[in-house]
Amino acid sequence: MSAVCAALAADPVLAAHYADFRDKTEAALDPALSALVRQAVAAVHGIAAAPDESGLDEGTRLCLAYARRMPFEHTAITDAEAAAVVAHLGEAGFVAFSVLAALADAECRAEMVGLPGLAGN
Amino acid sequence: MSTIPRVSSAIPGEPPHFGSVLAHQPEIAASFFALYGRFWGSDVLSARIKEVARMRNARVTECGFCRNVRFDKALGQGLGEEVVDDITDGYETSAKLTEAEKAALKFTDALIHDPDLLTGDARAALQRHLTPAQIAELGLGVTLFLALAKALITMGLEPEQMDRTVLPTPAVLEAAA
Repeated sequence: MSAVCAALAADPVLAAHYADFRDKTEAALDPALSALVRQAVAAVHGIAAAPDESGLDEGTRLCLAYARRMPFEHTAITDAEAAAVVAHLGEAGFVAFSVLAALADAECRAEMVGLPGLAGN
Repeated sequence: MSTIPRVSSAIPGEPPHFGSVLAHQPEIAASFFALYGRFWGSDVLSARIKEVARMRNARVTECGFCRNVRFDKALGQGLGEEVVDDITDGYETSAKLTEAEKAALKFTDALIHDPDLLTGDARAALQRHLTPAQIAELGLGVTLFLALAKALITMGLEPEQMDRTVLPTPAVLEAAA
C-alpha cells in the first residue's frame, strides 16, 4: 500500500478514489514496466535497490533512464529524451508513463516525510 | 524546460493542454478528475490551506501554469494576492499567513524538497495546528500537486506566457440524470 493510501485510511471514499487513480495509471502500461519505473524512482530516493536492467530491451532501459530524471532533474529533460520515449511507448503510453513516473516520485517523498504516521496511521 | 508540447491533443480542435493531452488516457483522466473534485470538495482541510500548499509547490517546481491559476474557493476564503506574494522563501516571518498555513508550508517543503525540514519544532507545529485527518488531506494534495506539475512540465505543456487566471474550484462531477 502506498504511503498516501495508508494516510487516507480514515477517509475510505477519498482513499478509494486515490487508489483507483493509481491503479488506472499503472494499468495503462505494461505491468512489468510500471513496476520497474516505480523501483527505479525509489532507488533514486535511496529507498529501494536499483532494478536489474541486464535482461531489458533498449526501449525499456531508455524509459528507466528518463524516469530516474523525474525526482531531481525534471526541468532538465530535453525534447529529444521525451521524443525517444514517445517513439517507444506511443503518445498515449507517454502520457501514462509521465503521470506514473511523477506520481511514483511524489509517493516516495510522501513515504520519506512519514505521511502515514503524521496522519495517525 | 520546454514550452513546446511533446504530445498532441487527443481532442480535435483543441490545443495541447493538460486536459486535452490526458484525454489520450480517458480512464486515467476520468479517475483523476473524480479524485481531484472529491479532494477540493472536502472541507476537512480548508481550500485556502490547500491553495497555499499548491502555490508553494508551483513556485518550487517551476510550474508556470500552476503558478498563474487561482481557484475561486480559496479566493472566497480570503487568499488574495497580497497573501500569495508571501508564499516565497522567508514565509516563516510573514504577518499575512496564519501559523497553520506556515506549518502547512513547512510540510509542503519537506515533502517536495527535503524531509529533514519536518523535524522537531516544525513537526510539532504541524501536529498542533492540523488534525491527523487534515494532514492526510494535505499530504494527498501535495502529492497530487507535485506529480501533476512534473507531468505537465515534462510533457512540454508549460505555457510560454500566461496571465493570472481564476478558475472554478474542481468539484465532484454529478452523474447525468
